[in-house]
Amino acid sequence: MGSGIVGIYGFSKLWKMARFVYYALLALQHRGQETCGIVTYDGKGGLYSYKAGGLVDQVFSQPETLENLKGWVGIGCVTTVAEKDSSLIQPAIVEGPIRTALCFDGKLLNLKSLRRKVSPLEPRTEAELLALLFSRKLDVGLHPVEAASQLMGEVKGVYSLVALTERGEMVAVRDPHGVKPLAIGSFGFDYGVVASESCVIDVIGADFKSDVQPGEIYYFDEYSIERRQAVKPKPKYCAFEHVYLARPDSIVNEVPIYNTRINIGKILAEEHLAENADLVLGVPETAIPFAIAYAQKAGKPFGLGFVQTGRRIRSAIKPTQFERLVGVQLKLNPIKSAISGRRIVLVDDSVVRGTTTKNTVNLMRNKMGAREVHVRVGSPRIVTPCPYGTEVPEKDELIAAHLSPGEVSKVVGADSFHWLSIKGLVKALGIPRKNLCLGCFTGKYPIPFEDEK
Amino acid sequence: MKVMLVGEAAREHAIAEAICRSSFEPKLYAAMRLRNPGIISLCKRTGGEYVTGKTTDPEFIVESAKRFHVDFVFVGPEEPLFHGVADALEEAGIPCIGARRAPAELEMSKAFMRRLMWKHGIPGRLRFKAFKEVEDAVAYIREYAESVALKPARQVGGKGVKVIADLQAYLSREKAHVKEQHAKIISEEHMKGYTDIEDRILIEEKVEGPEYTLQAFTDGRTVKPFPLVQDNKNAFEMDIGPETGGMGSIAGRGMLLPFITLQEYRRSAEIVKACVRAVETETGYKYKGVVSGQMMLTAAWGPTIIEFYCRFGDPEAVNVLPILKSDMVELCQAIIDERLNKVKLEFEDVATVVKGIAPKGYPDRRDLAKGHPVLVDEEAVKRKGGRVYYASTDLQPDGTILTGGSRLVEIFAKGKSIPEAGRKAEACIPFVRLADGWGVFYRSDIGSEILLKRRIEQAELVRGVYKYRFRKGLVGKTIEWIPGRGKIVLEA
Repeated sequence: MGSGIVGIYGFSKLWKMARFVYYALLALQHRGQETCGIVTYDGKGGLYSYKAGGLVDQVFSQPETLENLKGWVGIGCVTTVAEKDSSLIQPAIVEGPIRTALCFDGKLLNLKSLRRKVSPLEPRTEAELLALLFSRKLDVGLHPVEAASQLMGEVKGVYSLVALTERGEMVAVRDPHGVKPLAIGSFGFDYGVVASESCVIDVIGADFKSDVQPGEIYYFDEYSIERRQAVKPKPKYCAFEHVYLARPDSIVNEVPIYNTRINIGKILAEEHLAENADLVLGVPETAIPFAIAYAQKAGKPFGLGFVQTGRRIRSAIKPTQFERLVGVQLKLNPIKSAISGRRIVLVDDSVVRGTTTKNTVNLMRNKMGAREVHVRVGSPRIVTPCPYGTEVPEKDELIAAHLSPGEVSKVVGADSFHWLSIKGLVKALGIPRKNLCLGCFTGKYPIPFEDEK
Repeated sequence: MKVMLVGEAAREHAIAEAICRSSFEPKLYAAMRLRNPGIISLCKRTGGEYVTGKTTDPEFIVESAKRFHVDFVFVGPEEPLFHGVADALEEAGIPCIGARRAPAELEMSKAFMRRLMWKHGIPGRLRFKAFKEVEDAVAYIREYAESVALKPARQVGGKGVKVIADLQAYLSREKAHVKEQHAKIISEEHMKGYTDIEDRILIEEKVEGPEYTLQAFTDGRTVKPFPLVQDNKNAFEMDIGPETGGMGSIAGRGMLLPFITLQEYRRSAEIVKACVRAVETETGYKYKGVVSGQMMLTAAWGPTIIEFYCRFGDPEAVNVLPILKSDMVELCQAIIDERLNKVKLEFEDVATVVKGIAPKGYPDRRDLAKGHPVLVDEEAVKRKGGRVYYASTDLQPDGTILTGGSRLVEIFAKGKSIPEAGRKAEACIPFVRLADGWGVFYRSDIGSEILLKRRIEQAELVRGVYKYRFRKGLVGKTIEWIPGRGKIVLEA
């Protein structure tokens, strides 16, 4: 499951954290638009929770919803998976033995063997399973850092998680491969925050400190804070995170996302310069930095090609084709006077199914009167879905897995069509290739599944 | 030569050691609240003695000093000075290193200090409001307060300060709640029982930037600054966690910190000097002893006063006293005789790092942190190039050492660079533990390159802004334009 997670720990009981978590979730909305939820702790009533399907500002539209989430500690989550039964929505809460809430971004790769440990109890989701395993370790008297450390040994998978117990213990864990991001920050002497992305830390007015390292645990309770490098880091940072998922104002794996996207645009221009073109446009929003840098490198003007209608949404991660289409059509109202009669380089972030690109190119050519449309994609060809929980469609839906660039070009109706090379991507990231997961581009995934499929 | 020291923290252990290094070969006497094992062993080694008791009681201190026939007394902590220990000693004809009660108000009353800076137009001052009634403070917060620092108007052991940056309108309500509640807590808890000043609560404009401490000796005429030191207040690494009394501190070579320029150091010293002069004008008493500016490099002024100490900082004292080359007793006599300008204040040109080790539970649950038996392998620490200074510890009659609830020891190390000194101090940590298995914690990042880099970046950011303000003639004032009222120039 793709998600965005956050945990905020107040160092004084005066703080009411629910609103901080709410704004943190707004800053994570791009990571999941289907469900969201918040759980808080106030030392009196155990855990308070509210969760539902919908966007963050819709779910928490009533002022009393946040008012009822009492306490100086809070965790929260947004996810990409629609769910009607609100008890299944994250944060997952298990009632016993120690009441524990847990938010989880990722995928468990030894689910079957983990499930055998908890039989006959039936945790219904991966997050519930993790919460239950953690809760049981606490119940036999383990310190939460030790419990999390043991859990890290038993769980094979790709995850960042944050858990909160009814005893006011908050623990954040990033798996030893660090595929999913996790950052830590703080606000003066007042609170600590862990979040999927550093932009959250900015938005709630705190200071970003660093990434949580792969294999690292952060722990907060009323009297102490601890950090433990439980397992030696074996980084396999998700390249797709840098290209597409994370916000450009975030710093992930010590690399500013914006810088990477500027590098990508430059390298794309070096690799596939559209010499005849006279204007560069970017598809909002992710591709805008690519397009700016492409234009600079190519020595061609950058223009504004599209205006969005309605709220900003991530059309590509919507669950149904209909929603994706509505999303894209609302997102991309073209500015005719900018496009008409021009030879255009259209820079896009990731061409997955090809349908939205085809739509856009057709619109530009047929309705807006573009003379030429050269498509440049700021990511390498996506050839397989992600087994680690990032929302990428199944293989039979991936155009790049089936067609050559020349064929894609004809399908979408472009004059030329090029993806960024994998080598170019690695160069743009500035992270050693051995420390990256490039699975969706290469089909080779670095962390094995232990379960039989 | 006989010298009596008042106080029992690591700061006093470092002062004691500096006194004992003197060529006058003084006998060390001590008056302490708890039995600091480091100070006791120095007393024994030099043929002196110690007493325990209420060190804030002037009568107790004067009686002890008379009984020991000491030549002078060195008062380490602030509370004895606030209670008039220096005044009582001088009236009994015993010289004292430590300010009289009236000039010590520079530290004791933060409201006094701010008024003094404004009245005398001393640079590095902040806008503030002092309140005698909590209701007025709360009303002010409701009406005006945005980004502010809330402080008890009196020095109360360094506690009770809350700094709130309030820059996101969407989180203002939550922050206003915390500010109001904290104002009440200051009045009801932190200021409880203190009747020696009228003001209760201080609200200051919030400033941001790297902090540093300028410690100095003064005889009231001359102010001789020590090398700059930076303390680290957050309990946890990377400046995360609640506020402590200080988890460790760094000092660089050439009297400077890597993120403070010589010009900024000099300007800081000028500010401290101006305040020492102003306090004499105001109170009629010469300031004699130690004065420290707890400073910050801010966008508003560059060097800015956050608070004053009428003593050395702790842990900051432990950075500078072990590398003092000048004779401590000679310096003290020069202060007493008001001829500090005639003696040199010299230090080894090395970088130093001090790391505090605290029992778990510190700082918020000292009841849990107290009473654990301490094991320190001093020989092993020495082999690793470090030195142990005992802090909040109490030597028992049977020879065991129990924690007092705060930092239990401070480890000192020196080196060619701050990171080198930091690595040496780090290597000493495993040789300090609690015999009953209760956990201890410390900050491994103090003295590290990564933390230094952060400080340098932060300083560069602030320096850029204050230099811009100097260029534009905006230092010490704020210009605003309010619709319907026009241009307003606020003095600051």
